[in-house]
Amino acid sequence: MTAAVIASGLRRDYGTHRVLAGVDLTIEPGEFVALLGRSGSGKSTLLRAVAGLDPDYQGGVRVPARRAVVFQDPRLQPWLRVLSNVLLGMPKARDLGRRALAEVGLAGRERAWPATLSGGEAQRVALARALVREPDLLLLDEPFGALDALTRLKMHDLLRQLCARHRPAVLLVTHDVEEAIVLADRIVVLSADGRLDAGTTVDLPHPRRRDTTEFGALRGELLGALGVTEAT
Amino acid sequence: MSTTEIAAPATPIAWVEAATQAGGRRRRVPLPRWARRLVGPLLLVAVWQALGSLGVTSAQVLAPPSAVIHAAWELGRTGELGANLLASLQRASEGLAIGVAAGVVLALVAGLFRLGDDLVDSSMQILRGLPVLGLLPLVIIWFGVGELPKVALVAFGTLFPVYVNTYAAIRGVDGRLVESGRAFGLGRAGLIRYVILPGAVPGFLVGLRFALTASWLVLVIAEQLNATSGIGYLMNQAQSWYRTDIIVLGLLIYGLLGLVSDALVRLLERRLLVWRHGWSA
Repeated sequence: MTAAVIASGLRRDYGTHRVLAGVDLTIEPGEFVALLGRSGSGKSTLLRAVAGLDPDYQGGVRVPARRAVVFQDPRLQPWLRVLSNVLLGMPKARDLGRRALAEVGLAGRERAWPATLSGGEAQRVALARALVREPDLLLLDEPFGALDALTRLKMHDLLRQLCARHRPAVLLVTHDVEEAIVLADRIVVLSADGRLDAGTTVDLPHPRRRDTTEFGALRGELLGALGVTEAT
Repeated sequence: MSTTEIAAPATPIAWVEAATQAGGRRRRVPLPRWARRLVGPLLLVAVWQALGSLGVTSAQVLAPPSAVIHAAWELGRTGELGANLLASLQRASEGLAIGVAAGVVLALVAGLFRLGDDLVDSSMQILRGLPVLGLLPLVIIWFGVGELPKVALVAFGTLFPVYVNTYAAIRGVDGRLVESGRAFGLGRAGLIRYVILPGAVPGFLVGLRFALTASWLVLVIAEQLNATSGIGYLMNQAQSWYRTDIIVLGLLIYGLLGLVSDALVRLLERRLLVWRHGWSA
């Protein structure tokens, strides 16, 4: 099987500022890759290029036609009910939409307005909207960044189950090192000068507990790569 | 488990009931709020009536409420009021229909197409500075003295508020929603239908509200010049005979029409903007 994403020599400048300076990234089908980087390092720029939302990059990015994005904010159309939001651009698949909503635990909320949802519920709708397209590549741009800590933990579990069932290739952009370790098969770090490191394979069994020594060691290593030292 | 000894405060704490800091419980007022709010206007009407009845103000300066009611009844009985009201309503609704439709079409052209924006918006921004009533002499030369100039003035007066607000709303649609629509495969037509147009509805309704107010404002002036029917004509006629009762009646009717049209837009808002508050339809 060929890879789900092949980016080679991807560059992106904003004016004179070089954000991505020749990024090479390959994601295998079904592989979950987390992209870590400090804020402003160009993580989202890379994701937007892969998502096809940014036409102004240089270099090559080959991606599957079927891909879906979950943004940090749910970005539901406020004037469409939940089910119509899930089926945005594919209005004839009502049953699929219902099933996707049930999968994220929102069965029965098809006719709710987005304004009546909690932050976590809205983000689950966004997840259903991505899943219903059966994407070969799922792009997640800090999808849990705006949620409270408890909801975030639940969403990690949900996302892991959904990915295990649907097996899309996943690119998760995050600045949360623990989130990356809990979810990803491989973690790549984007440096401030716009280059990716070789990547770290996460070889821990699921579910990954945060209080193990291996987890702690990996976290320290990744924080080091991000230029942060934890106080002991 | 060990407990830590906490030193007793030197001065004893003064305890109060929490609610007392909110100024104590509110005293009950026997009347409901809307009834109390009605007292002011009623008092005003009473004073106005008293001034008339006591002969302080003559009927030629300001007719008392009783005379206004009487005039309404008289004019209603002869059918004069109904016919003139109908004439005014017809002008307003025709002008509104033309003005609102033109405003929406121009806003769509300017808001959705770059070429349309360059061609339309700059002109509209210049033209909207023109005082509508200043067009009166020109409109009379163009359209004569029949129904057309009145309808045209109302159309001009309502076109700009609708255009300006709808255009701004189309332009102001959240770019993140557009981006997410695009990310989920919406093409240009899909974006317009599912993202941009629904997003522009609140702005359009604001424009519509301004347009309704403007339509009555323009009509008041337009009907006092060269008109042979309408509320404004009625008032103008009354002026020649010092019938302040009819003039005041005309003013009240204009006011009522403004209130009713505002209520209609609010009804429309409730229906079109259910998603805002999550009212179920």
